[in-house]
Amino acid sequence: MNAPGWMQRYLNSRYNMEVANTFVDKQMHKRLPPHTGWLHIFGSLSLLLFISQTITGILLLIYYRPTPDEAHESIKYITTQAHFGWLYRQVHAWGATLMILGLTLHMIRTYFMGSYKKPRELTWITGVMIFVLTTVFGFTGYLLPWNQIAFWATTVGTESAAKVPYIGGWLQYSLRGGDAVTGETLSRFFVVHVIILPWVLTGLIAVHLFLMRATNLATMERVGEEKKTPEECGIPFFPVHVAKEGVIAVLLIAVLVTLSVLSPWEIGLPADPLNTPPHIKPEWYFLPSYQLLKYFQGPYGAFMGIIACSVPFGLLLLWPMLDRGKERHPRKRPLAVGLGLIGLIGALSLGYLGHVSGLEKSYFGARYHFSEKGWPTRVADDAPPADNGGH
Amino acid sequence: MKEQSTDPTRRGFLDVFIGICSAIMGAFVAIPGLMYLWPAAKGGAGEEVEVKGAKNLSAGESNILQVKGKAVLVVRTNSGFEAYSAICPHLGCLVKWEGVKREFLCPCHAAVFDSKGQVLSGPSPGPLSPYKVKEVGEKVFVSAV
Ligand code: HEM
Ligand code: FES
Repeated sequence: MNAPGWMQRYLNSRYNMEVANTFVDKQMHKRLPPHTGWLHIFGSLSLLLFISQTITGILLLIYYRPTPDEAHESIKYITTQAHFGWLYRQVHAWGATLMILGLTLHMIRTYFMGSYKKPRELTWITGVMIFVLTTVFGFTGYLLPWNQIAFWATTVGTESAAKVPYIGGWLQYSLRGGDAVTGETLSRFFVVHVIILPWVLTGLIAVHLFLMRATNLATMERVGEEKKTPEECGIPFFPVHVAKEGVIAVLLIAVLVTLSVLSPWEIGLPADPLNTPPHIKPEWYFLPSYQLLKYFQGPYGAFMGIIACSVPFGLLLLWPMLDRGKERHPRKRPLAVGLGLIGLIGALSLGYLGHVSGLEKSYFGARYHFSEKGWPTRVADDAPPADNGGH
Repeated sequence: MKEQSTDPTRRGFLDVFIGICSAIMGAFVAIPGLMYLWPAAKGGAGEEVEVKGAKNLSAGESNILQVKGKAVLVVRTNSGFEAYSAICPHLGCLVKWEGVKREFLCPCHAAVFDSKGQVLSGPSPGPLSPYKVKEVGEKVFVSAV
């Protein structure tokens, strides 16, 4: 990949382009370890989604108005009047979900392949920070359409923040910009969503990519015993890996557009601060924490619940410092792999229980009602169907 | 010059001194910024809100309104009016008054409260807090206690 001739001549006659040219050339033709394959594209996938979120987000900003009176109307305008507005809104909303999914898969890959070990601890830690901030991105963006579901999910979500020990009340008040979720909350979430997080995340992603390049990708060899593979055995970033990323980019666009057309996000009813609709649930990526909180009740319940929800993230963040074993191959790390699997299965099960809690579902022809804690009870076949909400 | 910068105690002192000065300067810049983020209070202290159409409610019926931005349920009992916070102490959804059962029910995780706001069942860690009700002739006013 080279700049057109006239541009090179222009720049060369004015600046010493030597340094820049060598840098770009080295980065483009960098050799990746021989086992680099399709499992290594989830990082690129997440990056592509971040770029897509940035572009569609800026487009939405042109017509979006962050006030309680106008927000819902402006989203309606975007989806019904603005040319292709429906597409950008859908791609942005689905992109958020896929970005979290992409990051999760990327973390699973690097966890089970032991890539977080020395010397890549900081790469992992910046990665976990990117993941957490992306969920904050989702949480703040979710409120912006100012519809019933979003308003009440945000009320419940910020209410949980009040249960954080010591600083909870203060935290909730500053998040909401007052006692309740109001236009002040909308302004705050808007600023965080469209200015603060985009730049913080851009910075973190830059550091993450820089570290990734500085240490190159990990192999499967033991820490400190990596064999130096000869240059010609490595996989050239360009064109081999870039071609894979191209395939992923095309597939991603296809998936985003297909989801947008076949399963569009609703706009819903405008927020009504005096009426809570039934079945308020957070977005799927918050369901495990949401469900876990429910098992902690009593005087110290909320406190313990918050601790229980934070511990997994603390472990995740500090994991490279805790697991200092030299092995990378999953078969030689039974403890780390076991813990990882328990965490994954735990999160999936809690998420599923959170999803069905308070609802009625049918399995193999029998109907069950799930309590808030997720325990099923059989419903008589002739009972009238329960209201499962419209979403 | 050279002598000064290599004197370890003098140098250490200067480092600390510059550090403290920078910290004070930083605080001068940061504190107003942090205070700006803290929401300024809105609404008067003893706000009294009139319950519109209160006298048209029959016993067992309710009305919802906002007092200082917080949702409050006014219930007509057999003897008069009572008001309770509509905000569920569990996670902040708004409870609904079930006139027939004379109970408050939360639509989010099914907390149930009796007609005095006391917990009957469900995950709420505490009761619904009461509000003050004042009847002036045909009018009914609600305010925080
Ligand atoms: C980087 C720049 C970004 C900008 C400028 C931006 C801007 C916006 C705007 C203006 C809206 C309101 C329109 C709407 O609700 O459809 C919105 C909504 C939303 N954003 Fe973003 N966004 C960005 C990135 C992200 C990222 C990285 C995520 C998540 C991973 C995200 C998740 C969401 C969600 C979930 C919504 C609600 C979607 C809906 O219901 O329509 N955004 N964003
Ligand atoms: S918010 Fe009322 S029961 Fe959970």
